[in-house]
Amino acid sequence: MTGSGSPGQPAEIRYGEADWHVQDLPLAIRPHKTRPFRTLVFLSIIVGFASLLGISSAYVMIEREQPLNAVTIGPWQAYPKAGTAEADPYSVAIYTRGAVVPLASGEGLALVARQDSAGHLLDPTCVYRISGQTPAARLWTLTVTDGDGHLVQTLPGRVYLDSQSLLRNQDGSFEISVANNPHSGNWLPLAAAANASDGLRIVLRLYDAPVTTGAALDGIQLPTIERQACP
Amino acid sequence: MTLSPRFSMTLGAFATVFLAVIIHVLVVFGIPLNVQHSAYDNIAEYGPDRQFNLLPDVRPQQEALPDLDPSMKHAACRFQLVDGPVLFDAGIPTSFWSIGLFNSAGETLYSLNNRTAGADRLSMLVLTPSQLSILRENPPENLENLIVIETDEISGFALLRAHVPHPSKANAVDVALKSATCGTIG
Repeated sequence: MTGSGSPGQPAEIRYGEADWHVQDLPLAIRPHKTRPFRTLVFLSIIVGFASLLGISSAYVMIEREQPLNAVTIGPWQAYPKAGTAEADPYSVAIYTRGAVVPLASGEGLALVARQDSAGHLLDPTCVYRISGQTPAARLWTLTVTDGDGHLVQTLPGRVYLDSQSLLRNQDGSFEISVANNPHSGNWLPLAAAANASDGLRIVLRLYDAPVTTGAALDGIQLPTIERQACP
Repeated sequence: MTLSPRFSMTLGAFATVFLAVIIHVLVVFGIPLNVQHSAYDNIAEYGPDRQFNLLPDVRPQQEALPDLDPSMKHAACRFQLVDGPVLFDAGIPTSFWSIGLFNSAGETLYSLNNRTAGADRLSMLVLTPSQLSILRENPPENLENLIVIETDEISGFALLRAHVPHPSKANAVDVALKSATCGTIG
């Protein structure tokens, strides 16, 4: 970077060698004055900012733990390509960094909800109702974790609910209360002592379901998550 | 030649963004190469290679591997195919079990569950193409009944998941997972 001279009025034009750096030549053809210090500072600023930007954007992408090729259905997100050779670089980085062993396509499919059906972030101090239908699957389980995907201590010590122990309506639909204190009917317990900042994820794992073995994911029926009450 | 300050600022901004994109890509691609603890490494803590090791029950603050289903019991087996083909054999008295084969980077090689296995017992042979051609010359009797998986990956691991329908079945599933074999053929 070089400074600019003000294009002031030429007093007189001289061609002596003593004042060769005349200021009234157009900037582009003015002889170059090297300013090593300024150039160095300028380049360091570029490199510094670029590193900051590049590393922080990579960090944000990895920490969000939401790969690019997610399939979103209502509040649920699935990454059917996770852990395969076709996975995008972000999910490869996320899964290897977390040492996560994904559910393979022949086993099942994990769907993660970080929001309720209205689009609000899930809050472990609230009461939610999960209702509706699930896609055809031989077995499915619902698990609650904190915002980082770790299991939490609940009042009854149970952290999941599976399709085999579920109370259903006549038509096969179901309602599940998701709350930290006991509820009648199907109860999925939340963390006994949770702060809103701990975050909440609800993981629905479908085992041996046609959707994991090729059938298209779009158009499948998934349960809704409704917020009932918040403190 | 001298650049106008505006031009050099624009050039600087472009250079910053360009360099930032390169660094972003390098960081994202570099993470898998610089991971301290991969799933392949973590599984080694639970027992020796070439045998199924029962992972502890998935409970809060005691998760053997992240993102495991707490309704399941898991057993893992690490193997290196340079030590010979690996035979998996298990009979698990539960309504659902599945096994996933992963390479050392954690990518899926093969997976199946008790319905797609076509039999109540899991019997699966994993080997390299050259080991398969040697085996074909002198095939074992039960080769027809085995699920044979050829792979070029030399090292990997298998994760066996078995659903526990009720706590009263937990012991039976434990015993079945402990007696599952992951070893040499013959």
